[in-house]
Amino acid sequence: MTADIGTSLPLLSLLLWLPVAGAGLCFVSYRSAQLARWVALLTALLVLLLSLGCLLCPAGPDGWMLLTDRPWIEAFGIRYSLGMDGISLLLVILTAFLQLVAVLISWDQEKYPALLFGLLLLLEAGIIGVFLALDLVLFYLLWELMLIPTFFLIGIWGYRRRVYAAVKFFLFTLSGSLCMLLAIISLYLVHGEQTGSYTFALEALKQTQLGFGQEMLFYLCFMAAFAVKIPLFPFHSWLPDAHTEAPVAGSIDLAGLLLKTGVYGMIRFAFPLFPRAAEQSLPVLAVLALFGIFYAAWIAYLQTDIKRIVAYSSISHLGFVVLGLVAWGQTAWEGSLLLMVNHGVTTGALFIAIAFIQKRTGTRELPKLGGLWKSQPNLSAFFLLFSLASLGLPGLANFAGEILVLIGTFGSHPLWAVIAVGGVLFSAVYTLRMVQGTIWGPSCEPFDRQDLGRREWLVLIPLAVLVVLLGCYPQPLLDPLQLPVSLLLHSGGLP
Amino acid sequence: MAVLLTLTLLLPLAGGIINACFGNRLPRPVPVIIACGSVIASFLACLGALPGAGGEGLRVTLFSWMSSGTFQADIGLLFDPLAAIMTLMVTGVASLIHLYAAGYMEEDPDQTRFFALLNLFVFAMLTIVLADNLLLMFLGWEGVGFCSYGLIGFWYRQSENAEAGRKAFIVTRIGDLFFTVGLLWLFKLFGTIGIEAINGRATELDPLTVTLVALLLLGGACGKSAQLPLMTWLPDAMAGPTPVSALIHAATMVTAGVYLLCRMFPLVSLSPLALGAIALIGVLTALYAATCALGQREIKRVLAYSTMSQVGYMFLAVGVGSVSAAMFHLLTHAFFKALLFMAAGCVINLAGHENDIYLMGGMRRRSQTVFWLFLAGLVCLAGAPLTGGFFSKDMILAAAYAKGSPFYLTIYGLGVATAALTSFYSFKLGYLVFAGDYRGEELPHELPGLMTWPLVPLAVLGLFGGLLNLPHLFGGHSWLSAWLVRQGDVLDLPVAVEYRLTGLAIAVFVLGWLLAHLRYYRFKARESGVLSEFLLAGWRFDGLYRRLLIRPFNGFGRFCWQGLEEGLVNGLLDGMAATFVSWGQSLRLLANGRISSYLQGFIWGLLIIVGWFLLRAVA
Amino acid sequence: MIVPIEHLLVISTILFVLGLACVIVRRSLIMILIGAEIMLNAVGLTLVGAAAFWQRIDAQIMVIFLMAMTSAEVSISLAMVVYLQRRKNSIDVRAFDEMRG
Repeated sequence: MTADIGTSLPLLSLLLWLPVAGAGLCFVSYRSAQLARWVALLTALLVLLLSLGCLLCPAGPDGWMLLTDRPWIEAFGIRYSLGMDGISLLLVILTAFLQLVAVLISWDQEKYPALLFGLLLLLEAGIIGVFLALDLVLFYLLWELMLIPTFFLIGIWGYRRRVYAAVKFFLFTLSGSLCMLLAIISLYLVHGEQTGSYTFALEALKQTQLGFGQEMLFYLCFMAAFAVKIPLFPFHSWLPDAHTEAPVAGSIDLAGLLLKTGVYGMIRFAFPLFPRAAEQSLPVLAVLALFGIFYAAWIAYLQTDIKRIVAYSSISHLGFVVLGLVAWGQTAWEGSLLLMVNHGVTTGALFIAIAFIQKRTGTRELPKLGGLWKSQPNLSAFFLLFSLASLGLPGLANFAGEILVLIGTFGSHPLWAVIAVGGVLFSAVYTLRMVQGTIWGPSCEPFDRQDLGRREWLVLIPLAVLVVLLGCYPQPLLDPLQLPVSLLLHSGGLP
Repeated sequence: MAVLLTLTLLLPLAGGIINACFGNRLPRPVPVIIACGSVIASFLACLGALPGAGGEGLRVTLFSWMSSGTFQADIGLLFDPLAAIMTLMVTGVASLIHLYAAGYMEEDPDQTRFFALLNLFVFAMLTIVLADNLLLMFLGWEGVGFCSYGLIGFWYRQSENAEAGRKAFIVTRIGDLFFTVGLLWLFKLFGTIGIEAINGRATELDPLTVTLVALLLLGGACGKSAQLPLMTWLPDAMAGPTPVSALIHAATMVTAGVYLLCRMFPLVSLSPLALGAIALIGVLTALYAATCALGQREIKRVLAYSTMSQVGYMFLAVGVGSVSAAMFHLLTHAFFKALLFMAAGCVINLAGHENDIYLMGGMRRRSQTVFWLFLAGLVCLAGAPLTGGFFSKDMILAAAYAKGSPFYLTIYGLGVATAALTSFYSFKLGYLVFAGDYRGEELPHELPGLMTWPLVPLAVLGLFGGLLNLPHLFGGHSWLSAWLVRQGDVLDLPVAVEYRLTGLAIAVFVLGWLLAHLRYYRFKARESGVLSEFLLAGWRFDGLYRRLLIRPFNGFGRFCWQGLEEGLVNGLLDGMAATFVSWGQSLRLLANGRISSYLQGFIWGLLIIVGWFLLRAVA
Repeated sequence: MIVPIEHLLVISTILFVLGLACVIVRRSLIMILIGAEIMLNAVGLTLVGAAAFWQRIDAQIMVIFLMAMTSAEVSISLAMVVYLQRRKNSIDVRAFDEMRG
């Protein structure tokens, strides 16, 4: 590891602790919703600015732009160790951006507003921390920190079946992450016995000599946590419920950010720590990813709840992301990471548009919706734009990632890519069905005929601009990925 | 020059974006002026850039779209003779259609959406034409698909219209899958997606790979160009406004497939098998669509099927290896079919928004101008001697004949039969619409001037389009073939053979006309019967696909959802949860709140422990 | 020792089982308390016997301790019985199963 570059200003710690501080302030000011709102907004804005500021930091030859490393619990060799490379950077910026949107979108929340904003900020801290942590214990703690605010977000502010969804989400992710905890501790002990230095540092643990069976076991335990989060088929069944029942801010966080932590965990932890096991598992992962693409698309096609359609579409898109990882190449990985960011933006935007539609019509059921363009042309246009981005129209966000994934995959595994291309058709089929039933056709009568309000414009326009920009000019995102991806690909010792 | 070329592409985009974002805030005629102005300006810019297209052509790279690893895609334009002639046609025809649309959509409250989409369409189509790499071409390819989707379903209040748009998008996207796979494969083979680079190095490939790649490209072309077996969307696409049908579903978008095959011709031509497949698909579609056109009742659906049929001819031309014949027919067809559609729009207006040709008749008396314009289009379509359509169709058939092998002679025979059918249904349409007395009840609507005069240049172009590539037999110099640097396409048949072929073409034209005259000059009752119903339904392909594809698709989806997702995955999980709950329920009974039963538990436990130790001691 | 230790053990076992049976079988709180007292006394008897057998004083101290504790326990538990009687107007043990799962 290189020396601490970000000494002048502890940027990484600020990124992690600023939201925590904001959350604390929100909890304290529970009497005044107005204060909590502004605290949350300012904190989220500040975090976004800070994360954008990180863009200015040059990347070292080993890919790291910023590193912080301090002893924490020395008795167990646990260190407070954060690091940011191009991959983390993009994901942190995405997190900060979407969280700002989430705060704006929850502005009018009347049920325990201070608590909601506090939890959102806490969640932001957890997610950012996960993208930065380089010490396994720290990573695990932050990983679990994401869980709790999400649980309450769904359970308190969700829709009708919120408790069921929250508990299901909690049990799924917890059982996955407990497996990971077990593997972390075992790995720590094995490494300590071998070298005599007991440490949870990622770089050190990569050097551990493991028997193949042992390595596979640890790998599977890690993957249990990540596969549930992504979610890979057959561990996905928490997602449709959680996405559908969560309030809109929760849906944005779930689809836009939480799912990404699973993929990030795979490339940052599971693959580099257990390269041989990872190599063996690639075909299985590919089959699961491909199956998931079609399976989720097929189910999405038959849903009547538009939020559920988008939820299933997330599973399908994340199948593409995993496929790109499995293809194991520079282009495919860059495509996967790009698709993650793009999917975060488009799906978040779609959830917001759906929330606005629900606010006006009081329903999300396709049979009750229709002809929304008549009364809400602007909202419908945004909805159409985001849907098109989601179905992979070239020039809009998702396409850039998808095509890179496909190109990368075709290079190493043509058959997988050819099958995955079919998924593109499927996404068109279910997305257009959703569009058809929502904005075209005979009108349903919205009880609120008001087209977009000022704050709604404020939220939708940046998202729309991003969706177009990311599709037409994704290069600024691809450039920072290049070095870290190639390092991760080649340090793993895989083909 | 480069600036003009860039402007050609970007002006329609700018017009579309301005109309999409601010159109509703602008006062009424401004969006229309922006839309028409941007396309006309684009046409003028294209004219200005034209001198650059000769010889090696003009290349402009705007910026790098994405580059990752070895993959690199630029926003780059390639303006060579092929692209130039196509760009000129697209912008020219689009300008006229925009003007026509300004009249057609005058009273529609939603016209800014219409013009925004129409401008975006022109941009996307120009992207296909001008792209210097396959990915950028794919951007345009999908872009036209989306605009077509939005415009077919423009009157979205009727669900059928939006349904038709969705069908068009999805069916063409099936073709796009093949295109995508072809693109991926070409990148893997050559490490680049530049069109020129691929064409230049195509000879390095082994025959099997070339054939497969060419067939994949053909699949993509079939989807966009509504060729068998992906043709079912085009007739339904007529649900859109008439200018849309004229621009997208006659003149430009449906010919994108032909353009793709011409673009990649150096690669495609390396595989005789693929060429044969292209020719076969082309001629079969031509024949199929011509028969369907016979049975249609709505004027626009007749024209839709005839478009499909004519595009089939273009495929046939590519299949027999004559790019200039394909482009020649593409151009003349664009002129006369756009003319026909727009004239049909006028006719529909005159008939009081009545679509059914059996409820028309006597339209000639309502407007002489429209009659003559429509007739000009019809004779081109039917292949009347000396019109543009006659020369271009003749060139294709002659090229097929010149191939000589039995396979191509059969195709030639089918092509001639199709020509006869074409002539027959064209005149049937003409007689039913214009001859006799008016049979409907609707009152005529006003015809704005903007809806007639843009048709005049098209009529002229259609009638005299033959001059573009006049064969030597008629004293021409095959200018188009020379411009495209495809002098090899100019046939060198013996004069006697050429006369025979031309004579045959004239003969089938006259035959079709005579038959139509005998049958439809005095209109009889509407035809009904098994055959005409069969033709009306387009050989019942829709029903077939519904049964073969859509129902199993839905069924399997239902199985995934109800069976796998709800049944297996969620059932298993909920079952597990329920099991734990029921275990808890039965354990509850133990804690009944009575000290005596707890004590019993103590004692049994004690006894077991003591007994265990006693047994151990004994053993 | 005057009596053999075995006899003493048998007696105290019988006493203990009687007390236990009383606790398990009876429903009146008073009778359950009496059963518990009998069990305690059975234990006390065993301790006294053991002290005599081994000639050690510890067990007898334990018995005195036990008696003191028993008296305290009885006073508290009888007070509780009175309280429970007041609350539910019954000293049937079945009335007090609020801790049921």
